[in-house]
Amino acid sequence: MTDVQGTQDPSAEEKASSFEARIASGEKIEPGDWMPEEYRRQLIRMISQHAHSEIVGMLPEGAWITRAPSLRRKLVLIAKVQDEAGHGQYLYHAAETLGADRDELVDALLTGRAKYSSVFNYPTLTWADVGMIGWLVDGAAIRNQLMLAQCSYGPYSRAMVRICSEETFHHKQGKEMVIRYASGTPSQRRMVQDALDRWWWPSVMMLGPHDSDSPNTPQLMKWGIKTKTNDEVRQEFIDEHVPELQDAGLTVPDPDMRFDEATGHWVHGPIDWDEFWRVVKGGGPCNAERLAARNAAHDEGAWVREALEAYAAKHQRTESVVA
Amino acid sequence: MTPQTELDAQVSQALAYRLTAMGDDELLLGHRNSEWTGHGPVLEEDIALSNLAQDEIGHAVMWYGVRGELDGSDADDLAFRRDPAQFLSSTFVELPRGDWAFTMLRQFLFDCYEAESLPRLARSAHRPLADAAAKAQREELFHLRHTGLWVKRLGLGTDESHHRSVAALTAMWEAFGRLLAPLPGDEQLVGAGVLPDWSTLPAAVFARVRAALAAADLDPGEDPVVPPLAQRNTVSEARTELLGTMQAVARADPEAVTW
Amino acid sequence: MRWEVFKQDTPKKAHQAVGSVHGADAEHALLNARHVFGRRPAAVSMWVVRADRIYSRTAEELAAESSAGADGTDTPPATGTGPRTYLVFRKSSHRRSMTFVEHVGEVEASHPRDALVSAMSRSADGEGLAWWVIEEGDVHRSDPDAAESWFEPALDKTYKQQSQYGTVAPGAGKRSAS
Repeated sequence: MTDVQGTQDPSAEEKASSFEARIASGEKIEPGDWMPEEYRRQLIRMISQHAHSEIVGMLPEGAWITRAPSLRRKLVLIAKVQDEAGHGQYLYHAAETLGADRDELVDALLTGRAKYSSVFNYPTLTWADVGMIGWLVDGAAIRNQLMLAQCSYGPYSRAMVRICSEETFHHKQGKEMVIRYASGTPSQRRMVQDALDRWWWPSVMMLGPHDSDSPNTPQLMKWGIKTKTNDEVRQEFIDEHVPELQDAGLTVPDPDMRFDEATGHWVHGPIDWDEFWRVVKGGGPCNAERLAARNAAHDEGAWVREALEAYAAKHQRTESVVA
Repeated sequence: MTPQTELDAQVSQALAYRLTAMGDDELLLGHRNSEWTGHGPVLEEDIALSNLAQDEIGHAVMWYGVRGELDGSDADDLAFRRDPAQFLSSTFVELPRGDWAFTMLRQFLFDCYEAESLPRLARSAHRPLADAAAKAQREELFHLRHTGLWVKRLGLGTDESHHRSVAALTAMWEAFGRLLAPLPGDEQLVGAGVLPDWSTLPAAVFARVRAALAAADLDPGEDPVVPPLAQRNTVSEARTELLGTMQAVARADPEAVTW
Repeated sequence: MRWEVFKQDTPKKAHQAVGSVHGADAEHALLNARHVFGRRPAAVSMWVVRADRIYSRTAEELAAESSAGADGTDTPPATGTGPRTYLVFRKSSHRRSMTFVEHVGEVEASHPRDALVSAMSRSADGEGLAWWVIEEGDVHRSDPDAAESWFEPALDKTYKQQSQYGTVAPGAGKRSAS
């Protein structure tokens, strides 16, 4: 999957090999540096999907901000959902350094042409879902993001370092909630086990298809965009979370889940990939609702954006002082 | 700053009432603003308004905390386990979030009120109140910078933004006057030096508001009426709706000792 | 419109490029930068610069231009004639993963390319992996007198700092059976 022109143009071939040598030696590629078109295309695809996931990811938990049951939880949840907006913001920036236009990327999301993480198309039914999303969904996301922080493209890598540090707060606050409720009142315990039952498999799936069904992975690894495969990252996630969930007194809803003494890893049962693809392709329980919410915010904000532009156009020359 | 003296029982009660009302106002305003989180008109503004919401709720925690030092009350109990009739919030902060113009102008008016009230409270004879006010004042300076920016853009941006701003101001103007009304017991607090220069507050707030609105070509008409005494116990439909949502999880499990 | 954001973490550190914000004008962009990049500690100052007003070159671009004999005087245009002050930013290490270009100083020149050449000749001390050159008048800065109200309150918001959570041990929230 190398650059088509690169195979015909000797100077481009030279560029491609020096590009790969730079990556192999651990250098970061920066905006302005030569890169194969396919590298640029794959990065824009990945980064924008990632950005969209953060933006849509605000909605399932955001729905509970107004119902958070303590002042601290309320502050924490606003800050967390705000961070997701921030992460989307950092990621759109990384895509913009590759020549992508944020408005066009957002338009692709709003019109249903762009993909985003399947996990955000599941509903949040109780308050405990907020904790479970923090512990599991963010726990899975961090595993993926720690890997991407090593990525060869400087702006993506830096966005990921910043995101990982903030995401650790998301993970910890979720874990704190789940552990507390798992040893709380009977109704808190029921609520948190029910949340685990519903969020476990979506979290396992969100790390992407098995390596055998992930055609982009080898090239992405060669270019240092990904440094681990989906299955490797999934294994890290499971190894970290299964024993901790069990310690908290919760039951992981996978009857086949077992610890393999020989490998030192937890082994999970079969994943329902039909469900995964159905949700990715728009057939999840909340796909339509999520896109409708994003479209409503965009449409209702149109006059606000127009006012900003109109003011800026009128005052471009008169307001030179910025405090 | 006057050193803190033991408050007599009457003053202490009046102060607890005022702190509760101030906490309720900040909490409900922050709550209304947080309804935008995830639904803002621009990504950066979504982040910005979430900051303001956190700041206001943080101030509520602070005022409830100063009350807690007086009477041992718990901030979460105050927020989540009082009935609507026990809340002391102003209708001004209870009103639904409305459109972006309503949200920004309400926050702006509230910022103008705090730009005048906090420096006064920072000189309060009750030291914990003075310290808390000084802390909140830093954030409020930045809020005013942010909402002041929006007042200009809304008032001078497009015809639509201007019309929406006028409509928003009209809708909240009377309630804004009531926000500034003295609370029962304020008189004792003024007498005890807990609320310095309190009688000049409304006029100073209106002057500040007028100057900024005029620069944005917005004229709200005459100053709103400030009633001689606030009626904070009156339950509005908006308050019932807001608290019904806000307290739903916390009150669903009366056994729960921790969230 | 996109604006690059530079954040200074402490008074002794240099301003570093941390990302960008969208903003309709400079004042709007600067406030957005505070909201996006100042919601956690630490910051003492922020600058914003319109993205299209930045003259940028990576080491690789400079090498390619020099072998092609190009003078690299394409973008962005200077706002007038005659010498003016340019701020120079440099990325100097592949190792520190968070660091992109940071402010290394000012030079007088009549064009951003000349400013870059002059800055490079002066900084033989370190590697220049990427360079940004910005005309002084294009830099919109936060007010030093407002730093307390812009940046210090973030220190008190400990609930969103992961370091405040420590390790959560299962069983920590156990309540008595009563």
